[in-house]
Amino acid sequence: MADPPPYPGTPRWVKVSGVAAGILALLVVILIHAGGGHNLQSGGGIGGHTTSESGHR
Amino acid sequence: MTMAPGLRKFALVAHVISSVGLLGAIAGFLALAVAGLTSHNDQMVRAAYLAMDLIARFVIVTLAFASLLTGLIQSVGTRWGLFRHYWVLAKLSLTVIATIVLLVKMELIGSAARFSAEATLCRADLRAAGIQLVIHASGGLLVLLVPVVLSIYKPPGMTRYGWRKQHA
Repeated sequence: MADPPPYPGTPRWVKVSGVAAGILALLVVILIHAGGGHNLQSGGGIGGHTTSESGHR
Repeated sequence: MTMAPGLRKFALVAHVISSVGLLGAIAGFLALAVAGLTSHNDQMVRAAYLAMDLIARFVIVTLAFASLLTGLIQSVGTRWGLFRHYWVLAKLSLTVIATIVLLVKMELIGSAARFSAEATLCRADLRAAGIQLVIHASGGLLVLLVPVVLSIYKPPGMTRYGWRKQHA
């Protein structure tokens, strides 16, 4: 029985997309860290305020 | 294992409907998020965030899981397979990532809706959530456009596993 043909390798579009996705993911991580992450409090306000606090401003 | 032609067509129709429907629902969500962020009318802001919560909970999450499930059925039930071609693998990865991000952001969407229903509307807090929601909806829309393009163009390229299977 003949040997199967050798694997032709990963196509260029996969390599380019992989690098682009990696750079994008890195940018997102940097942006999240630079912004101090999300400050979500499900019980109170979204930005950490309560309604009564914000009502007195 | 390949599906019978009739069943394959039915699964394909279900997959296209759920995937394209998901894109449309996210586009609608984005329009509401922009309205909630930019409107100066309190009633419009409240309505936008409450509608976004309902759309996300009952339409977007449902369609995301339907798209994922029908996509899995399509791939394992046809000659394409799930791990044989890079374009199928890329579609699967993007849909799974988008669904995970959606589920993580459900808390933020729910909080924005609850907060907009409060007697006193705090613009600063809603603005912070609104910016995040516009960014995530835009990102989600862009990410989910890629699977549509991949499905139509089907760029060539087999994975090492697919190559082995084809030449076994």
